[in-house]
Amino acid sequence: MLLFLRRRTLTSLLPLLFVLIGVFVLARLTGNPTSLYLPESATPEQRHVFAATHGFNNPIWQQLLDYLKGIPHLDFGTSLRTGETAASMALRAFPNTLQLAVATMVLSIVIAVVLGSWAAYRPNSLADGISSVLSMTAGSVPDFWFAIMGVWIFAVILGVLPTSGVDNGLLSWVLPVATLAVRPVGVLTQVVRGAMVSALSAPYVRLARSKGATDVRLVTHHALRNAAAPALTVAGDLAVGLVNGAVVVETIFGWPGIGKLMIDSIVGRDFAVLQACVLLTALSIFVLNILIDLGYALLDARVRETVKA
Amino acid sequence: MGSACGVSSGSSSSADNVRIVLQNEPPTLEPCDSSNTGDGVVERSNITQPLMELDLSNGKLSPLLATAWKKTSPTTYTFTMRKGVKFSDGSTFDAKDAAYSIDRTVNNTKLGCFVDGYVFGDEKVQVKAVDANTLTVSTAKPDPILPLRLSFVEIVPTSTSDTAKVREPVGTGPYKIKSWDAGQKLTLEANPDYWGPAPAYKTATYVWRSEGTVRAAMVKDGEADIATQIGPDDGAGDLAVQFPDDQTVALRSQGYIAPLNDIRVREAINYAIDRNGIVKSLFNSESTVAAQLVPKGITGYNDTIKPWPTDVAKAKQLIGQAKAAGVPVTTPITLYARTAQFPKIAEIVQVVQKELSNVGLNVKIQMVDTTRSNELQQRPFPKGIGPYLLVIQHGNQAGDAAFSVDQYMLSDGFQSAFGTPALDKLIKSAEAKSGPARQQAFEKVFAYEPTHVNQFAYIAHMTGMMAIAKDVHYQPDVNTENEMHLAAMSPAK
Repeated sequence: MLLFLRRRTLTSLLPLLFVLIGVFVLARLTGNPTSLYLPESATPEQRHVFAATHGFNNPIWQQLLDYLKGIPHLDFGTSLRTGETAASMALRAFPNTLQLAVATMVLSIVIAVVLGSWAAYRPNSLADGISSVLSMTAGSVPDFWFAIMGVWIFAVILGVLPTSGVDNGLLSWVLPVATLAVRPVGVLTQVVRGAMVSALSAPYVRLARSKGATDVRLVTHHALRNAAAPALTVAGDLAVGLVNGAVVVETIFGWPGIGKLMIDSIVGRDFAVLQACVLLTALSIFVLNILIDLGYALLDARVRETVKA
Repeated sequence: MGSACGVSSGSSSSADNVRIVLQNEPPTLEPCDSSNTGDGVVERSNITQPLMELDLSNGKLSPLLATAWKKTSPTTYTFTMRKGVKFSDGSTFDAKDAAYSIDRTVNNTKLGCFVDGYVFGDEKVQVKAVDANTLTVSTAKPDPILPLRLSFVEIVPTSTSDTAKVREPVGTGPYKIKSWDAGQKLTLEANPDYWGPAPAYKTATYVWRSEGTVRAAMVKDGEADIATQIGPDDGAGDLAVQFPDDQTVALRSQGYIAPLNDIRVREAINYAIDRNGIVKSLFNSESTVAAQLVPKGITGYNDTIKPWPTDVAKAKQLIGQAKAAGVPVTTPITLYARTAQFPKIAEIVQVVQKELSNVGLNVKIQMVDTTRSNELQQRPFPKGIGPYLLVIQHGNQAGDAAFSVDQYMLSDGFQSAFGTPALDKLIKSAEAKSGPARQQAFEKVFAYEPTHVNQFAYIAHMTGMMAIAKDVHYQPDVNTENEMHLAAMSPAK
């Protein structure tokens, strides 16, 4: 297992480095933030001092080297906008995104397993219809539309939920989580349904049925375990997408997470904060992928053997 | 509050607290940046105060931390400080603090203050606290609007750093910062040491949401009392309030690059645009068609100038004449606009592009963000990108035409693509005048520019819109977009 972790870490380092360098270079191609942070009347000397203080005068390779050198010491630079360290801003926002992603995934998996199993057990039932509609909607309607419609219907017309923010306890979570969950629920329900249909027609399930196992026991004890592996892979990919893609939902709902911070940093050419956000997101995706692999190994003996090897 | 909703915003809805939702979180509340970074609306005259306060509706200065001021020599003004004023940290305000604040904002080379750039330009001042209650401020040359410029300097105690910008300032205003949960909300509380009448609300809570629809919904839903910067389509319904604004929208030509370097082409652009149509269909009905860079109420506004008429035939004729004279009128021109700069900007540039294409110009649209827009708008202008038109939105929160024409019309103005020596002379002469002579001189500038230089195609003077809950009394005015005074708000009777 340790060997697996080591190998996985090493193979992930290269893409991680590629992402960091890519973001670093692309950010600087968007222009020098000096014009955004200094007044119109700033003298050439003031501009020079500002650029020199923040390293913008150095060749890009040297700026990159300085940035990479700081990473082991958790020194990601200082925010141009607020003067705070980029690390503290990113670390403050990250748990908010993580909580949102975890809540969304837990809810999505529960709904998808129930709906998918029901649909597989009773083809052409109501559950089958709901899952088809959800997966089609998930594939064709953008997040921001759900978000705005959610605000309009549940906050303005019905007045049962807050429009946005994080101050209303559990109620604050409903609209962001519901918006984020549409896609995972739609996709996962279809995956669970497909896997369950195969599992329910497998010989070992037929044997269990012939031995008198109840319907509920057939689904929960026999079929679900085998159907879980493909669903877990897809769920992992969706979770990665959530951490990465909470940008729209966080921006609309004023959720103080890493996605919103990233957008604010891009608009404000706050390179240090943007880089810290990207690094944190990339790291979390890396950890998430390892967890998915480990979870997959726990569920599938064949994978377990590969991991051991 | 506004609706029968059971959801609270986390800050209790009561007669003691007013809840305001802004578009963006202020990055800092550094007083010397309060003219640019969007923090002025939270900070100015709430947390910190200037010596005098400008009323943009009549252009007059009223006393605040200074009770009186007068010109004591051609280059010096003397100010009398208000007595009995304390900062929110308990220290006493006197002329030393005022001198320190002016020096920190205007003469400091380390901070790079936006107020310095916007209001003072290259001008430096000599400032001296004669005694605890008397302050003198001198300039190298006579400056007839020095008190107006100084009204943009927020006063801070001498304990404030002059080498680093501050995020949470100490001031003399009716409120002080209670807490700032970065990313979530900012709460102000009434300053118990305030020298003036106590404000009606004991606390004020600011939150920020980027979507106008969400901001409007928060007021409708009872989660906020005031939502700023909303558009006519954001759904605020009868809670939406319109008010005059100091902003003017125009197209600016990069007039030294062909074909925009030919005045016939620039005139054709002016004739091609249907301003009435744009204002009527795209803005709310009270926005007015613009004929000059500043709106009514600004010193120098010329009420005799008529908006450029729409005349497609004339525009085509001018393009034809230019073409016959060898001007490359079919060269692609880029029409740049800043994404989300104001409501419906995307629709406006599409209309303008179509109108300009109709008269024979080859115009393509490019939407850009703030940084790119700044690069296109400010010297040194980017090279090698061909001719371009830029949608600008200029606000003159200082109330005097000098703050507009200096940067937008001088040949070497910071945001001016070109000009003429004759126009430069007119502007410099106007800036040295005061009183009615100043008004008349700037009127001449605004009348001269379109016929002799024609850098701009003015479109509209904007109006602002905000949503205000029924149980809050607040009357927004032309100053509101720059500074929103909490002391002017109270529970509706």
